[in-house]
Amino acid sequence: MSKTTQAPKALRGVGNFIDDRFHLAKTGEKNLRKVFPNHWSFMLGEIALYSFIILLLSGVFLTLWFKPSMMEIVYDGSYERLQGVPMSEAFASTLHIDFDVRGGFLMRQIHHWAALIFVASLVVHMLRVFFTGAFRKPREINWLIGVAIFTLAMVEGLFGYSLPDDLPSGMGVRILQGVMLALPLVGSYVSMFLFGGEFPGEDIITRLYMLHVLLIPAILLGLIVAHFMILWHQKHTQYPGQGRTDKKVVGTPMFPAFAVKAGGFFFFTFAVIAGLSAFVQINPIHLFGPFTPTSITSGLQPDWYMGFMEGSLRIFPNTLDFTIPIGAGYPVMTAVLVPGLVVPGLIFGALGAWPFIEQWITGDKRAHNVADRPRNAPVRTGLGVAGIVFYGVLWLAGSNDILSETFSIDLYLTTYIFRVLAIAGPVVGYVVTKRICLGLQRRDRETLEHGYESGVIQQLPSGEFIEVHKENSAETTHVLESKPVITSTALEEPETDDKGVENPAARKGMGRLRRALAHWYTKDNVSFDGVEAHSGHHLHHGAEHQDH
Amino acid sequence: MKWITARRRHPLAGYVVVILALALFGVGFAALAPTSDEARAQTLSAEVPDPEDVDVANGKAIFDQTCASCHNYDGSGMYAEDDEGDLVVTNGPDLREVGSAALDFQVSTGRMPSMDPDSQMPRKPMAISEQDLVDLIAYYDEEIRTDGRGADIPFDVPGDAPQAADFEDEASYEAALEEYEGEYDAYIEGADDVDMGMKLYLTNCAHCHSWSGGGGALTDGRWAPEIHDSTPREIYEAMVSGPGAMPMFSDGVITPEEKQELISYVKTLQAEPNAGGIFDLERVGQVAEGFIGWTVGLSLIIACAIWITAKQRAHD
Amino acid sequence: MTENNNNDHNEAGADADERVVGTPTDNTDVVSESSAHSESEHNGPYLASETHKHSEEKQRRGEKLASVWFIIAFIGGIGFLVSYFLFPPNAAGEPAIADPQIGQYSNMLLGGTLTLAMFGIGAGMTVWARNVMPHYEVGSPYDDLPSKEEEKSSFSEFFMKSADESGFTKRPLMRRTLILAMLPLGLAPVVLLRDTGPLPGDLMKKTRWTDGMRMYVEGTHRYLRAEDLEADPYGMISALPALDDEGYPHGISLTDQAKSVILLIKMPEDDWKAGMDEPVREDSDETHLNWTHQGIVAYSKICTHVGCPAALYERTTHRILCPCHQSTFDAADAAKVVFGPAHRPLPQLPIGVDDEGYLVARGDFNEPTGPTFWEYAKD
Repeated sequence: MSKTTQAPKALRGVGNFIDDRFHLAKTGEKNLRKVFPNHWSFMLGEIALYSFIILLLSGVFLTLWFKPSMMEIVYDGSYERLQGVPMSEAFASTLHIDFDVRGGFLMRQIHHWAALIFVASLVVHMLRVFFTGAFRKPREINWLIGVAIFTLAMVEGLFGYSLPDDLPSGMGVRILQGVMLALPLVGSYVSMFLFGGEFPGEDIITRLYMLHVLLIPAILLGLIVAHFMILWHQKHTQYPGQGRTDKKVVGTPMFPAFAVKAGGFFFFTFAVIAGLSAFVQINPIHLFGPFTPTSITSGLQPDWYMGFMEGSLRIFPNTLDFTIPIGAGYPVMTAVLVPGLVVPGLIFGALGAWPFIEQWITGDKRAHNVADRPRNAPVRTGLGVAGIVFYGVLWLAGSNDILSETFSIDLYLTTYIFRVLAIAGPVVGYVVTKRICLGLQRRDRETLEHGYESGVIQQLPSGEFIEVHKENSAETTHVLESKPVITSTALEEPETDDKGVENPAARKGMGRLRRALAHWYTKDNVSFDGVEAHSGHHLHHGAEHQDH
Repeated sequence: MKWITARRRHPLAGYVVVILALALFGVGFAALAPTSDEARAQTLSAEVPDPEDVDVANGKAIFDQTCASCHNYDGSGMYAEDDEGDLVVTNGPDLREVGSAALDFQVSTGRMPSMDPDSQMPRKPMAISEQDLVDLIAYYDEEIRTDGRGADIPFDVPGDAPQAADFEDEASYEAALEEYEGEYDAYIEGADDVDMGMKLYLTNCAHCHSWSGGGGALTDGRWAPEIHDSTPREIYEAMVSGPGAMPMFSDGVITPEEKQELISYVKTLQAEPNAGGIFDLERVGQVAEGFIGWTVGLSLIIACAIWITAKQRAHD
Repeated sequence: MTENNNNDHNEAGADADERVVGTPTDNTDVVSESSAHSESEHNGPYLASETHKHSEEKQRRGEKLASVWFIIAFIGGIGFLVSYFLFPPNAAGEPAIADPQIGQYSNMLLGGTLTLAMFGIGAGMTVWARNVMPHYEVGSPYDDLPSKEEEKSSFSEFFMKSADESGFTKRPLMRRTLILAMLPLGLAPVVLLRDTGPLPGDLMKKTRWTDGMRMYVEGTHRYLRAEDLEADPYGMISALPALDDEGYPHGISLTDQAKSVILLIKMPEDDWKAGMDEPVREDSDETHLNWTHQGIVAYSKICTHVGCPAALYERTTHRILCPCHQSTFDAADAAKVVFGPAHRPLPQLPIGVDDEGYLVARGDFNEPTGPTFWEYAKD
């Protein structure tokens, strides 16, 4: 009884000092008692946070030596092979970091690997949120912030990739400028203003540097802080389970357990990135050589997160290009504009809009804290997979020359294949995924009714063999029974009122569209109505399996 | 086995398998990825052959047996008229004006004799012996080549390293090897303008053969081969003779000294150890980096997350 | 999903029953030797039913294991410091880490030890949280997010009253002039950015090529002669205008390189296709063929798609392919686009030879070089 430990004196002193000034005891305890559900997929966002921190730390280190200048100098540093080669100060200072600063090479590789993993973890985190419906009310705003972070992270990565002014990085800037020039009416103006003249000019690295180390990271940091504060305030979603409801979260408390777990995870993330950086060479700019606008290499690619843009630039044909026949003619280059603007606009626009579209279709205005199992929202899951396939095909198309060489496929043929796949792939992905979801739902119902297959085979006195089904655990039963019913308010509104007058809302264009979408969104679903747990007859005596 | 059987239903078993698979993948990749040192196996130096050592009759025999079936006995190739009345190669092209450099390149890289005239030949070990090649080239120069057209073999550029099998005893092989290495180093180090070599390589070669000499895709299923195994002489010969779809770079366009800068640039680059770590991902670049970032980097981090959050005891 | 997340009962059952009791933990003092206390009371910060303590033996093993990890991390950390000082900085004339092989060792040692240190701490903390700390299944309510109706109406009433009282809604003159005052200021940032670059004007339409200008083989300062290509029935070379501007190591700025670089291609003259007989511009008398010299043709090397150097020339098919996005141009047919996303042919440079036999330009390109832009065709 007696053992309520007193805080050590020093700690009490600090605590009192702070509390005297901020009145924090109550808030502090409340926040340290904050509960986080326990699941590995809930830690994906943390990977992004930690790699962002690693990016900040290693980035600050790099700025100590990096010179964002395009002044052409003749290299006479320590790296022998390139002595006497004219290059920009940016490239020369990167060589200095690599070969004159101890640990500089490591930090540069850490910075680059962390960037790749930062964006990759953003993607998997976003997919987790999407497929489990964790973007639903009340978390739509946080989803939008997440989409903004993803977009900015790509731009931030592209600009950082451009800074060392090596051969591939300069080409990335060139492509960026080429896409800008294709903008109708304003293209050449935008490009002139950004580059301070023609490509490459003498300003672009300095300007990208400012954007890369100051403006975009500041915005990113702000968005990430907002993302976390909102998460903190609303509390994390959880998977269905006993005792877990939209009203109650179950998990690990911040203090002491979650803080230690999350802290450990930071070190794990850092360890993996450091391990890659120690042993796997990345972006060897000293081997590429400095950028000149006249040199090019085969197999030129951007970092992976720009791959889908590169791919869409490669596969979009020029057949839709047209010229506005005024005067000498003004070109509208769909082959640049569609891949450069429409495709990313479509992808990010669709991501940002989906929570609101789904809410509009279903009319669901409730707050959700229990995540969906992906199979229980087959249309959403199907659409998500369609999106992944679309993105993935473009991504692969961005490396079609490597694929062509590695697998000995005709280069042009790969382009044709990817053109077809970019359209057919998402459709097939949607249909197949939805089928799989429905199949899993059926299996869930089966399991709920009959228990699970125990693997034990029994021979009945009649000589017949059966497999014994056993009762599910209470947990499994709970999870299966908690399958939400997918409905839409649009379908509940009658088409005509009791006097036979058509419902005006349902008759208008948007109303009709909404009804149609609601029908599409809800029609395929395995009903669990009337299914009682373990009611199936072959659970106990194991009679012949009956079809439903 | 019993130990495994007892534990394979353990809740962590799945994760262990995943981690093992990843580790295996890593080790396998490490084993398969050649280091730049291994990739630089050089092969045989040949001096201007002493006329006394050359057997033109043997050269003719080889030509008639292995070359003439496609290139004709007089080296004029085999052509036919297509629908539009243009001459197209049916079996082998006309050799009379290609020069001995082209011959040396094609045969010493094992591309000729070819089994299939319609498809691009990969680099292979040479099909005939070194002496046979010397005889064959002598026969070509004397009987087939028209007016000395085409480029000659650049004998002052180091070719293949000596092979132990060609020597009677260890000592003479060692001596020959040492001499060859001296020549090789003298040629590579004789270049002193990195900028010129780099510019020439990156503006005229890298768009097909890649910045690292790793090769790349061409159209219609052809490819630009990787040039790690190529000797300086082979690179030189390829430049002056333009094998396959490759354009020519004669000594007028790129002088021999400039070629030395170019070849020295790419060979030095290929021989340089990877300062960033032992895995260079075959110097493929961003595609390989992205692949490893996802499959190794992110997967390992997620494996750690799985450890942190794993169930602490099974209860089903 | 279910398989992975039903943690509720992790420590439930017999074990937990024994230890509902458990030992008191406390959150400020991690190492406490107080397990001998009353068996019937729970003294942790969270409810006994939500706290699944590990047996003392498991905790002890956990403590040992975590300590092993921390010691490994310590060794890694020391190793990191040692590795740093193991490699001296580059002394004069003595490249230490600037030697790629030594640089590799340095990188792997530094990175390897850092990895060890980081992983050790991570693993130790994980073992600590999993084996020493109790397993928590703490329940906590999700807050009701919308405020209560009366709170909302109170707020909105307060807000509107205050807004009215401030006069902002009632006094339109003041409100409108304030908005008016903001307008020019909103434009200020846009105006301030005007000097970031020049207006495009004709800048992108002209290059430095002029009539009679010789060309350098790129990478050298050697003028190219027509007869240099004599031995190449199928030749190709990248060339630049023979400029020697001051202040640039190559005698030519990158900007000028980007616009004026050409790909010289030589092919047998009977390989030319019909397109070569077309005029170089709609209003021009010159044909593409007039602009060649003895089978040598000069095209801009910069792709008209988004500006990579389109340099991959196959002499058998006469295709010029851009390695970035695989736009393909037919060198034998006025560089027309035959595949891929490019919008227009590669611009052509008229060439000839001067009195001394050197290849020279006979004017500027027929069209602006580089990526196609909106007003490229406008004179």
